[in-house]
Amino acid sequence: MRKVWMTMSTVAVASTMLLSGCGTENGTNDAANTNAPAGNNATAGANVPAETPAADMKLRILDANVGGKTPEENTKFQAEIKRLTGIDASIEKPASDYDQKVLTALGSGEKYDLIELSDLGKLATFVDQGVVTDLTDFVTGSKVLSDPKVVPTAEWGQLKDKDGKFVAVFSKFQGGTMPIVRKDWLDKLGLQEPKTLDEYYNVLKAFKEKDPDGNGKNDTYGLSTSDLYDIQGFMSAAGVKAHYVMKDGKRTIPYATEAAVPMYAWFAKLVKEGIMDPNFVTNDTGKMRNLFLSDRVGMVTYWDAWVGMFNNTRKQADPNTKFQAEALEGIPGADGTILMRRGDPDFWIIPANAEHPDAAKKFLEFWHTEPGITLGSLGIENEDYTKEGDAYKLTPTGTEHNMDHGVPFWYNQNVKYPFGKLPGVQEAQDLVTKNATLELSLPGWPDAEKIVKNYALKAMSGQMDPAEAVKKMHEELLGKKLIDE
Amino acid sequence: MGLLKKYGALYLMMVPVIAYFIVFAYYPLVKGLQTSFQDYKLMGDRPYVGFANYDAVLHDSLFWEAMVNTLVIGGGILLFSFIAPLVIALSLNEVLRTWFKKMAQMILYVPHLLSWVVVGGIWIFMLSPDSGIVNMILVHVFHRAPINFLADSGYARWIMILLSTWKEMGYTCILFLAGIVSINPSLYEAARMDGATRWQQLTYVTLPQLSNTMKVVFLLNTLGILRIFDQVFILRNPTIASKVDVLMMYTFQKGILEIKLGPAAAASFFVLVLTLALTLVVRRMTRFDEV
Repeated sequence: MRKVWMTMSTVAVASTMLLSGCGTENGTNDAANTNAPAGNNATAGANVPAETPAADMKLRILDANVGGKTPEENTKFQAEIKRLTGIDASIEKPASDYDQKVLTALGSGEKYDLIELSDLGKLATFVDQGVVTDLTDFVTGSKVLSDPKVVPTAEWGQLKDKDGKFVAVFSKFQGGTMPIVRKDWLDKLGLQEPKTLDEYYNVLKAFKEKDPDGNGKNDTYGLSTSDLYDIQGFMSAAGVKAHYVMKDGKRTIPYATEAAVPMYAWFAKLVKEGIMDPNFVTNDTGKMRNLFLSDRVGMVTYWDAWVGMFNNTRKQADPNTKFQAEALEGIPGADGTILMRRGDPDFWIIPANAEHPDAAKKFLEFWHTEPGITLGSLGIENEDYTKEGDAYKLTPTGTEHNMDHGVPFWYNQNVKYPFGKLPGVQEAQDLVTKNATLELSLPGWPDAEKIVKNYALKAMSGQMDPAEAVKKMHEELLGKKLIDE
Repeated sequence: MGLLKKYGALYLMMVPVIAYFIVFAYYPLVKGLQTSFQDYKLMGDRPYVGFANYDAVLHDSLFWEAMVNTLVIGGGILLFSFIAPLVIALSLNEVLRTWFKKMAQMILYVPHLLSWVVVGGIWIFMLSPDSGIVNMILVHVFHRAPINFLADSGYARWIMILLSTWKEMGYTCILFLAGIVSINPSLYEAARMDGATRWQQLTYVTLPQLSNTMKVVFLLNTLGILRIFDQVFILRNPTIASKVDVLMMYTFQKGILEIKLGPAAAASFFVLVLTLALTLVVRRMTRFDEV
């Protein structure tokens, strides 16, 4: 018996690593749903301090994007918030594993006043789990946030729960994804921007075979992706939308229907002919981007903002570069509809156990005013930029930080871009505005996604016949009750 | 009381150690066990639901898929990461040139120092179908078509087993070499005087004398086989997920991605109980208590 206990003790210690620290408190906060008066600096100028400093207002923020780019700059960022709002803010910006950090913090009863998220599926789960404060009265009563010029009314639908309550506030404007092409390669090879599936094929084949980078080697690919991230612009040709689609009240996944078969076959043809980067199954998005930036591939599928980032990065490395990235529209389906993907927004929640919800609400209003937007985009005055009269000038640090301290783009139409957008971004965002819609992630999507990706990637890479892959995908989803038909 | 007076200082020194294990090991363990019996929400009430979480896990086909993968991959790693370093340690022991022995040990040990993020990155690159050295050899030397090893479910489990063996081989090899060094040289002298060949010295002296080290290594490896996570997390992709997703990946998906902490905790305790059972079996089979 003694031996058994000794063994159990040994195993128990070793197994501790298996278990997350689930120590918890039943975090509740009576003040969570109280609404503070709106902040009073909504119309302040870009670098004007708060008119009335908030007395004793503290704020603890957990976020992935907002703040300084280094710990030192983060400290200055906090001081700048204090200068502009009077709020004594503390920003925690984990270097990695952000989702785990959020979950651990919430599960262990840690008290944050604001948490930044970017997954609507997770928001719905947090609402169900009692994590999120109801912000309906605050948002509708706020002169700043209820102004359609600050946040378009239709956009708020994304941040309402199933009962129509506002449960979060936007952090920035989030765009969408699309095919991004080397326009300079198109011009060099005398090709037009592709519109149809056949035209796309011809362009991609030319990128592979006609030495677009002019180095005399057959070392370029037409297309690269990072698994199914994000082929929506191509799948649009077959009229199929990614993730779940509700059809007559039933859950369907169009990627698992026969309509998707020709598209998987089209990708398999690209792979077979060496037009597509063969590493697309194992690529992460960083590898995909690097291939594009290093003249190895002529087209990738990525975010609108990256059109500008691509152009800017190459321009900074070589001011005489001919490199030109350009966004392409998705391919129209049989009925002429173009399906593109709108990304889940970045947004703030006030956890139900927040100790300073009033400060959090004041900050949320500030974040959507010109001073807040300037801080979130350009950064810190005299650190990232200087200002003479109405003219802004980026410092070397500011140039390096690419005008992104959590808010590269914003909704507020009253706030103009001091330097304009990076080349190609506006055109890309126009395509998103015109064609893109959000994806619907229902409970069970993580399980469904594994099945969809498994068979879709096998079909695309030529490991499995596309029709058979779709048949098995559909059967497995149905068998595991992840779709209704 | 007399003992307490006599050894008071020693007991005092043990307090931080005991406190450490209570706070960082046993308390989370107990809380995890509690969570596995709750309808666990991040905030608000967390009612007890009996064995519902365990029931949900046991009726989840993905759990059983993960169980099979864990046993196959873990079993493979257990076997290969025991035999390969043993063979190498015995081989190195036969090498007379010290510089070569030390150099080989160092080279073998280096992968153990690297994190799975680095090792995974290296091998994803090495196995790449267009620029990886493995496929370049296949294409240019053997005139074969390139193979996308990490996207082919037929190779997936073997890759996990072999990479883990490769990474940890140097570390285990050092343990074996340390065991070999501690063998009494007079046993070899006696064997040589009796006319034993090198092979006979190996089979009749080295291996029997090394058996205790082998038992310890085997037991330590057994403790880890159900906890495989990092390498799978780094090397997996959707096309091979169904062949390599192990129990810890299942727990990660339930707990972190789906925020179903009750079932995740229940799955963790299955791992705990299985590890306990496996350990007891291995102890009994190897007569570990005689070490």
